[in-house]
Amino acid sequence: MARTITVEGDVNAVDTRVLLSSQGSVSAPSLVVPAGMTTIKKIIMTAAADGLAAGQAMAFIRLGGNAVLGGEQTIVFGGEDSATVQSGSDAAPSLGSLFMIDDADIAVRPVDTISIAGEFAGADVGDMAFAVTLVYGK
Amino acid sequence: MAKLYRSREGDITAVDTKSQLTTLGSETAPGPLLVPAGIRMLKAVIAVFATSSAVAADGNMFIRIEGPGLPEGPETVAIGSHGVAVATGGHGSRTARRFELDIPVTSGNEILIFAENCGEDVGTETVGVTLEFV
Repeated sequence: MARTITVEGDVNAVDTRVLLSSQGSVSAPSLVVPAGMTTIKKIIMTAAADGLAAGQAMAFIRLGGNAVLGGEQTIVFGGEDSATVQSGSDAAPSLGSLFMIDDADIAVRPVDTISIAGEFAGADVGDMAFAVTLVYGK
Repeated sequence: MAKLYRSREGDITAVDTKSQLTTLGSETAPGPLLVPAGIRMLKAVIAVFATSSAVAADGNMFIRIEGPGLPEGPETVAIGSHGVAVATGGHGSRTARRFELDIPVTSGNEILIFAENCGEDVGTETVGVTLEFV
């Protein structure tokens, strides 16, 4: 049996921890680990940048809060290259990277709260939209 | 036993230069990356990089993991490459890769992570590495 939680959010500055606490039309989904779930089995992570500034950025997540038994877990998952275009020309879209860990096996305590944060390091390439799905299991 | 994930990142600004990854975004001084208590194996490495594409050139990236936490000695892993014909525009998106390794580690000791650009200098790169312990 598995349960899922998906959260998303915008990160608008480099080296800034941003809690991912919304879910599109749902502004505040529950971040309580469902009863009976003792592990994060899989993690799906994606991010894309608008590339409005030149540079390079590396995206990662932080999993923390009272529910995570092994302390804060940090996982890198994506990179964004951005060389700003010449005046008057267009740039191709940046298709967001998607990275999945099939056997994450992170121990969590059920009925306790998890925090999911997104962050990028390197240079400020503009806004970056993050989405993360956790798949809980027993 | 459950897995533990620990990460570091940093920039490479010159070709053929060993650059240590010592920060983690908003954490400018996270301290030494120690093998957690009770851990015996570096199960995998997850790595990703991004480049400024500021130079028309081609090159590769690899990482080095070293230190007293690795009783068998240092290891190296190629993590990707990059090439561009012009330095005047373009966006790219990169996905991390997970490299399963099964390298023995010594609990309580430090692992140092370095990244390097070889081939030609392709600009500035930010490299992120996650160590997956079990």
